This record gives sequence, structure tokens and C-alpha cells, in this order.
Amino acid sequence: MNSFIVKGLVLAGVLIVATLVVIKQMHIDLSDPVNLITFLGAVAIAVLTFGVGAKYMAQMKTDTASGELAEENWDGIGEYKNELPSGWAWSYVGVMIWAIWYFLWGYPLNAYSQIGEYNKEVKNYQKKFEAKWKNPSPEVLRDMGESIFLVQCAPCHGETGDGLDGKAQDFTSRMTKEQILAVIKSGQHQLMYPLGAMPAGMASGKQAEEVAAWIAGGMKGKAPATWATCAGCHGQDGKGNGGSAPDLAEYDETLVKHVLKHGKKGIIGQMPAFPGRFTPVQEKALAAYLKTLKQ
Amino acid sequence: MFHWLEKNPFLFSVGVFIVIAFAGLVEILPDFAKASRPIVGLKPYTVLQLAGKEVYKKDNCIACHSQLIRPFKAETDRYGKYSLSGEYAYDRPFLWGSKRTGPDLHRVGNYRTPEWHANHMWDPKSVVPASIMPAYKHQFKNIADLETAYAEAVTVKKVFNTPYGDDIQPGKAAFEKYYKEKALPEALKIAKEMKNKEVLAQVQQGKIPEIVALIAYLERLK
Repeated sequence: MNSFIVKGLVLAGVLIVATLVVIKQMHIDLSDPVNLITFLGAVAIAVLTFGVGAKYMAQMKTDTASGELAEENWDGIGEYKNELPSGWAWSYVGVMIWAIWYFLWGYPLNAYSQIGEYNKEVKNYQKKFEAKWKNPSPEVLRDMGESIFLVQCAPCHGETGDGLDGKAQDFTSRMTKEQILAVIKSGQHQLMYPLGAMPAGMASGKQAEEVAAWIAGGMKGKAPATWATCAGCHGQDGKGNGGSAPDLAEYDETLVKHVLKHGKKGIIGQMPAFPGRFTPVQEKALAAYLKTLKQ
Repeated sequence: MFHWLEKNPFLFSVGVFIVIAFAGLVEILPDFAKASRPIVGLKPYTVLQLAGKEVYKKDNCIACHSQLIRPFKAETDRYGKYSLSGEYAYDRPFLWGSKRTGPDLHRVGNYRTPEWHANHMWDPKSVVPASIMPAYKHQFKNIADLETAYAEAVTVKKVFNTPYGDDIQPGKAAFEKYYKEKALPEALKIAKEMKNKEVLAQVQQGKIPEIVALIAYLERLK
């Protein structure tokens, strides 16, 4: 082996080792086919650079100009009638065959769909996501909830969740007295809780005022007598009997899920539904974040 | 065989063009006719929505907002389901846009309300603090051009067979009837949800401000 080949081999080796170092340092996942193909491509480039370079350097040292000239010449520049290099010719034919297959069968007439690729990608991602956050810590949930909130909810509810001057629900408290009175007056069945519709007019006048003020005030102190009527469904503690009726104390997971699924129209306006927009973990995260907004 | 091509530069250029265009042709042509048909359940724009679309074009919303959700997870997470070409079958012209200074609007009807749109057009910063969008207060004063929108509906019904049915007929009398029986109630429903008393009063008097038409159009994008 002459010194040139040794140098070439060393160069190819250094290139391959450098690629491996980058892969190791950046924690690149070689089980991903795109990453693997890219890596193999890098190795192939290193080997080919060395191989082709070595071949032509050797040829330059020994080759002489010989052979039969073709008939045409262009301003005195002629062309040899050499045999085609067989390696080049066979790979050319191979690529042609592959191209015909690729255009007519492989892609796109009956094999590839962008939407199919999208579906696959999303399905894989969702699976990974749910597996990764199967048991999230409260901090993770809160941060995840905050990032979803800022993108999806903040345009109406405001970046701080205060409802932008009554444009939407104010998350720093559960409900205002007016909202509770409106529900008591006209009943409610938008969120489809298992216990069914809340009838209109369960209380009125002073009694309704009293119970609404008590709930809006955070249910502190002694409950007014009318509360017994509400407690039948919402539970003595107002937490909704484990998801059978809406939780009146805070934004629990069930409530957030129901509102996202069905949307809601109240006295302050309408919230559109967001069915299927979030994964179960994301809904849980939103609920966890909303709870932290309470003052 | 290629000597002949070398002596005929024009035909050579045609050959080069065909060879280069081949991949594009096999990719685009086979699905083209199928994909451009309206998707199942797609209805043509009502006249009020068409008038709103004109406002959208006139005020150049397309300069910052696109209406095309690409099938990437990051896009569908934020905006909703990816767009299909069949959804634009009644868009003449479509308003895809390419510059996203603001968010994409193709599914905006799913996650914003008339009141939100009204706030957004009156003072964008009141709902999106970091917004760089200018206010469009003139839309609350200017009256939408329903007559031209109606004429457009008549035209596309005749020329492209847009399935409007018997609602849309040529003639001034037919327009007045449509305006009173279809367009005004549609506008009234939106004006009521907007919580703007002046706009509501105008609609009740039989005049439809541009903002109502624009919101009708935006609510339709879903």
C-alpha cells in the first residue's frame, strides 16, 4: 500500500468516527429510519470519497491517451470511442429500472398518501406521549397545562386567566353570583352530567340570592338552608358527588373535560366546544393548571 | 440518436421540459379531478357570507392570515383538522394565503365566537395583548354590499352550477325577498351574539354592517 491509500483510509475512518461522535453526543435515535438512513448515507459518502479518489489518483499515474476517436469533433475537440465503464453503466440501468417502478407503482399512483403519513405520525406520537406522561408529577401537569392554556385558551380567557374584563369565564374564581342565579333561574343541561338536567327554578327570590352568594363566596361558613336542595345532587361539600353533577367548588378534571367536549353557553357568552383536540393527559393538565389560577 | 436532438434546439428544449415535468405530472394529475370536487355535506356560501368574504378580501386579511392547514401535527394541534382540497370547491377565488403573520383561519369558526371576533376587529389588543393587527373600526359603520354578493351568487349558480336551489333567482324583486327572508335573520342572529348595541340596532333597521357579514363568513370557516 502506498502512502496515498493509507492517508485516504485514515481520512475515511476519521469521517466515520466523527459521525459516530456526533450521534453519541446529540443522543440521536438510530431506531428512527430517517436517522438511520442519514447515518448510513454519511458512511457511504466517506467510503465513496475515498474509493473514487484513490481510483482516479492511481489512474492518473499510469493511464496514457490511447483509443479510437469518434467521427465528430467540436472545434477540434474530439471524443474517444471507449467502452462504457461497466460499473457506471450497470448502476445507470439499475436506476432507470428503479425510476420506472417508482414513478408507476412505488409513488404516488397507488402507494403514498400524505394524509396516511400524517395519520401514522400522529398515532405514533400520541402513543409515545401518553406512555411518557402516564404518571406525570403535579409540576409537569401544571407546566403542560399552562402551555396548552396560553395557545388555546388565552385568546378568550386572557393570559392570566381572568377572562379579559368579562369577555369569558374568569378562572380566578369558580362562579359569580350572577352566573349562579342565572343557572338557578333557567336550569342547566349543557354539560351532560350523569345526573341529568338541572330543572329551572329550584329556588327563587331571597333564598336563591342567599345560596348564590354563599357559593360564589367560596362556600365558607354555615350553609344557608336552601343549600340542602342543591346538595341533593352537587353533594354536601359541593364537589359534585364524584363526577355525577358539576363540581361547584373548583375546576375539577371532570368539569374541564365536559366543557371541552360540549362547549357552554352562559350569561357571559358562548364557549365553543373543543372535542378531540386534546389527549386525556392534556385535559388533566389543563384542569391542574386552572386550579392553580385560583387566588 | 441524440445527434438529431442536438441539431434541433427547439425540440431539444421541449424534450428537456417533458423529462423534467414528468414527475410533477404523475404526482398531480391522477388525483386532481377527484380532489377538487366538493366534500360531502359542503354547502355553498350564503349571500351574507359571500358579502363577508368580500370584506375579508377588501380589507386584505389575506396579507397576514392564511386559510390552509397542512397535515403536520404541529399545525393540527393548534388549528384543528388539516384542510382538504374539496373544502374549497365553492371558493372563487380560494384564500389560502402563504404569509402567516397571524394565525391560520381555516377552522376559526370552531374555536372563536362572534363576540370574540367583534372585540378582535374593534381593538385587537383587547383580546390578544401581543397582537400587531390594526383595528378595523370602520367595519362597524360601513354597510356591507349584499347586492353585489347576491349578484355573485346568481352568477356562480348560472356559470358553475353552484347548487343554490330556488333561493337565488335573478332580478331585483328576488333579491329583496331573499334579503328580507334569509339574509336579515341570519345577520340578526350574529348581531345578537356580538353584544354591540349599535350594530344590533342597525340590523334591526334592516341595514347590515360589514362586521356582521365578515363574522358570518369567519363563523362559516370550520
